[in-house]
Amino acid sequence: MAEKKTKKEPAAKKETKKAAAAKAAPAKVSSPETKMEGKPRVGVFICHCGTNIAGSIDIQEVEAYAKTLPNVAFAANYQYVCSTPGQKIITDAIKEHKLTGTVVAACSPRLHEPTFRTATKEGGLNPFRFEMANIREQNSWVHMHDREGATAKAKDAIRIAVAKASLLQDLIPKSVPVEKTALVVGAGIAGMQASLDLANAGIKTYLVEKLPSIGGRMSQLDKTFPTLDCSQCILTPKMVDVGRAPNIELMTYAEVESVEGYIGNFDVTIRKKARGVLSMAEAEAKGIAGGGCNGCGDCDVVCPVIKPNPFEMGMKPRKAIYIYHPQVVPLLYTIDFDSCIKCGLCVDSCGDKKAIDLEQKDELVKLKVGTAILALGYDIFPIDKKDEWGYKKYENVVTSLEFERLICASGPTGGHLVRPSDGQTPKKVAFLLCAGSRDNTGVGKPYCSRFCCMYSLKHAHQIIEKIPGCQPYLFYMDIRSFGKMYEEFYYRIQDEGAKFIRGRVSNILEDPETKNLFIMADDTLLDRPMKLEVDMVVLAAAVQPSADTDRTRKLFGVSCSLDGWLLEAHPKLNPCGTTTAGVFLAGACQGPKDIPDVVASAEGAASAASIPIHMGEVELEPYFAQCVEEKCAGCGMCVNLCPYQALSLVEKEGRKVMQVTEAKCKGCGTCGGFCPGGAIWMQHFATPQIVAQIDAFFLGGEH
Amino acid sequence: MREYAFFLGCIAPNRYPGAESASYRTAEKLGIKLLDLEGGSCCPAPGAFGSIDLNIWYAMAARNLVLAEQMKKDIALICNGCYKSIWEVNHKLKHNKELRDGVNEVLKGIDMEYKGTIDVWHLAELFYDPQIVGVQKIRDSVKVPLTGTRIAVHYGCHLMKPKKERHFGTTEHPTWMEEMVAALGAEPVEYRNKMLCCGAGGGVRGYDLVHSIDITNEKLINLKEVGVDALTEVCPFCQLQFDRGQIEIKEKFGVSYDLPVLHYCELLGLAQGMTPQELALDLHGISCEPFLQKVL
Repeated sequence: MAEKKTKKEPAAKKETKKAAAAKAAPAKVSSPETKMEGKPRVGVFICHCGTNIAGSIDIQEVEAYAKTLPNVAFAANYQYVCSTPGQKIITDAIKEHKLTGTVVAACSPRLHEPTFRTATKEGGLNPFRFEMANIREQNSWVHMHDREGATAKAKDAIRIAVAKASLLQDLIPKSVPVEKTALVVGAGIAGMQASLDLANAGIKTYLVEKLPSIGGRMSQLDKTFPTLDCSQCILTPKMVDVGRAPNIELMTYAEVESVEGYIGNFDVTIRKKARGVLSMAEAEAKGIAGGGCNGCGDCDVVCPVIKPNPFEMGMKPRKAIYIYHPQVVPLLYTIDFDSCIKCGLCVDSCGDKKAIDLEQKDELVKLKVGTAILALGYDIFPIDKKDEWGYKKYENVVTSLEFERLICASGPTGGHLVRPSDGQTPKKVAFLLCAGSRDNTGVGKPYCSRFCCMYSLKHAHQIIEKIPGCQPYLFYMDIRSFGKMYEEFYYRIQDEGAKFIRGRVSNILEDPETKNLFIMADDTLLDRPMKLEVDMVVLAAAVQPSADTDRTRKLFGVSCSLDGWLLEAHPKLNPCGTTTAGVFLAGACQGPKDIPDVVASAEGAASAASIPIHMGEVELEPYFAQCVEEKCAGCGMCVNLCPYQALSLVEKEGRKVMQVTEAKCKGCGTCGGFCPGGAIWMQHFATPQIVAQIDAFFLGGEH
Repeated sequence: MREYAFFLGCIAPNRYPGAESASYRTAEKLGIKLLDLEGGSCCPAPGAFGSIDLNIWYAMAARNLVLAEQMKKDIALICNGCYKSIWEVNHKLKHNKELRDGVNEVLKGIDMEYKGTIDVWHLAELFYDPQIVGVQKIRDSVKVPLTGTRIAVHYGCHLMKPKKERHFGTTEHPTWMEEMVAALGAEPVEYRNKMLCCGAGGGVRGYDLVHSIDITNEKLINLKEVGVDALTEVCPFCQLQFDRGQIEIKEKFGVSYDLPVLHYCELLGLAQGMTPQELALDLHGISCEPFLQKVL
């Protein structure tokens, strides 16, 4: 398609000289006032988009029809209106035919509205005198096999757009300054990397993490593929950097409570959950000299309440006052107030440091930031839903994340892999790949979780290395070793003696006495069913968006896919942006990603989020409400309706009228639709404009 | 008294008439009146017919459904094979207009039309459903508790699977039939690979007998391992496979288990005071005598 785009039409060739001249003297027109001389004159430009549109819509017929519409002074069609010669047709026609408005019938405004606005502006019109008729996404693509119907629908769309373009007015966009601070939500490897990049670029960054420590999922891993370096060893230096960076303000055990405002000026409220322990800085601020938590752990020793440690997947105990593991950042204890019995033993053992406050309450902190990055991470799919594999029912069936803790030297068993049922070292371990991934039964997830193949290969390597004579069996569908040095790693594990069985496991049965597991599977390479007795089963469970993702994304107005993963503005060309200006995505909250991909995406998001901040100001679309003061009765009902707190009542000439804070208004139209006196003018979506569109549709263009 | 059109199927009336008579009589004691479905044919067998020509399977099952529609009664049945055919065809026809139109085109030849006005139920699920009967009512109806017996349950594949098109929750570790066995005073027994197929279904028995009874044999080994007095099921085809299959296993493999196999309705009939003669237990391939001695 791209090749076709650059192919020049003979007509365009003739004009290249002119185009070159136009380029040499760039038409820098800053929102000029359009001269209105009597009747509106609209130009209609119909795009073929190669065969995308022309394949199912009769362009000639539509053009001939457009020429018959009221107020249309010019109509033309072109192969690709978005191309340079295509845009030139628009700019030339505006000048030649003294147009007052333009309509391009092409793709979705999401794609090319900015392009055609610029072309309209270069032709000498105010850019907001342009209207787009979508005849591709909402027409030719969906009515591919109905040429007649699609052509008729294109005529309707153009007629409606012309009606609106006849009434469009000049609008002047507003520029607002951008706050020179950024917010990053989630302090896993994605959030940490993004914060470090922003901070190093000189931007004050608030890093908010819901857990007591930063590090995320990566801190739970033992080793990383394919290099086999220790996860904590490469992660902790970064954690320390984050803790120390002067430009990063770390807020752990905290959540985003609410978000208001817009790009450049977000007002964010953070809930700092009561952790019951004061940091040294907090203690100092309270006048406790030399006090505050130094992480000595004296409180931990005396606390009588024992709970499972979620960091260790519940396989190790923690107290009601706890840290997850010795390398936490910040090194600061936290009280789990749901299980604390407030016996006060910790307060006594803390002594003069006076770090513990059993009566601490949640605290709300207000921040002002220019841009925000969401790095919300992922969770493990509750694999017990696949009840044929017996997770939570059979003791020796574990998930991969549990395996990571069991094989990790700092884990609950000191790195000795043991069977949960009897503490014995397993001699035969089966790994079930695609456990709940690529699963169309309706129980699991339809997508590939992407990194399970690779970490399962790593797991196989680890048991071969650690337990002499232990045999790993990998049940797989395909091994997806897609990254740099990944395929080589796969060969290496094959050579080390791991057994690969291509086929899914239909059922697992447990021997009630030995607690061994019988795996029933189909070996699709040998085309026969098989049964295998093993000591332990590791499920490479699918991943899903983390529990808080949905709540947080709604605060920021970010959309998600059917599976709940956050949606980027464009999957290929704008992978870090979202449909909310100023909000960016990093890491696995967009979909399963391995560590290199997460870090790359985080760096991308940091770069994207720093651009508006370095620019210093951003232009807002001028779609805000305006009060027609002579009609406003000052009833104030709109003030309460506004979801963005953009409206207020003010005294003017002895009476009350409504006033709009333009920067806050999102142009949603709630007030304009409601106002009983018709006193609110929605710019670019004004009542006469919308009525004209409706009339055009129903009256078939005959006014 | 709730009324249902009782779809007999083929195996129960022909091989285990006791299961048929027990269904009528036990259901009546639990507030369910089973009405004869006049003119009912073979369901037809899902494996045998469905694997040769699906359209014949749809049309014949639809004919049986229309008979019940004409009675304006939901269908109740006691066989998993029938359940697969009648329930699933009803479900498919209700949700697929194209299929429904095709089937009605065929039915037109015998002046019938499928409308999709009734539902299909396995009698066992009606018994378990607390809105209709429920375990408590079953317990209350027991006159001769089966105390001291150890009974294992075979659910059968067509009743529970495919999971997407059934409504029983877990299909891998169900326990609702064990609850119904416990309600009779017996001790329900778990055993290895409980959800394995009986070996008969899907046309396997007709195609390859040795392969088929090999699967049955594996189940019987697993049952012997835990030691049970009887096996109960809710499918006469499974019953046939476990009961008469033991004779074939003895002939082909030289092993005997002598494990009595009873349809849940037969078991319930015994517990409600029906005599072995009324239940025609003497027609079983494997003698129920040792089990009866423990109970009566």
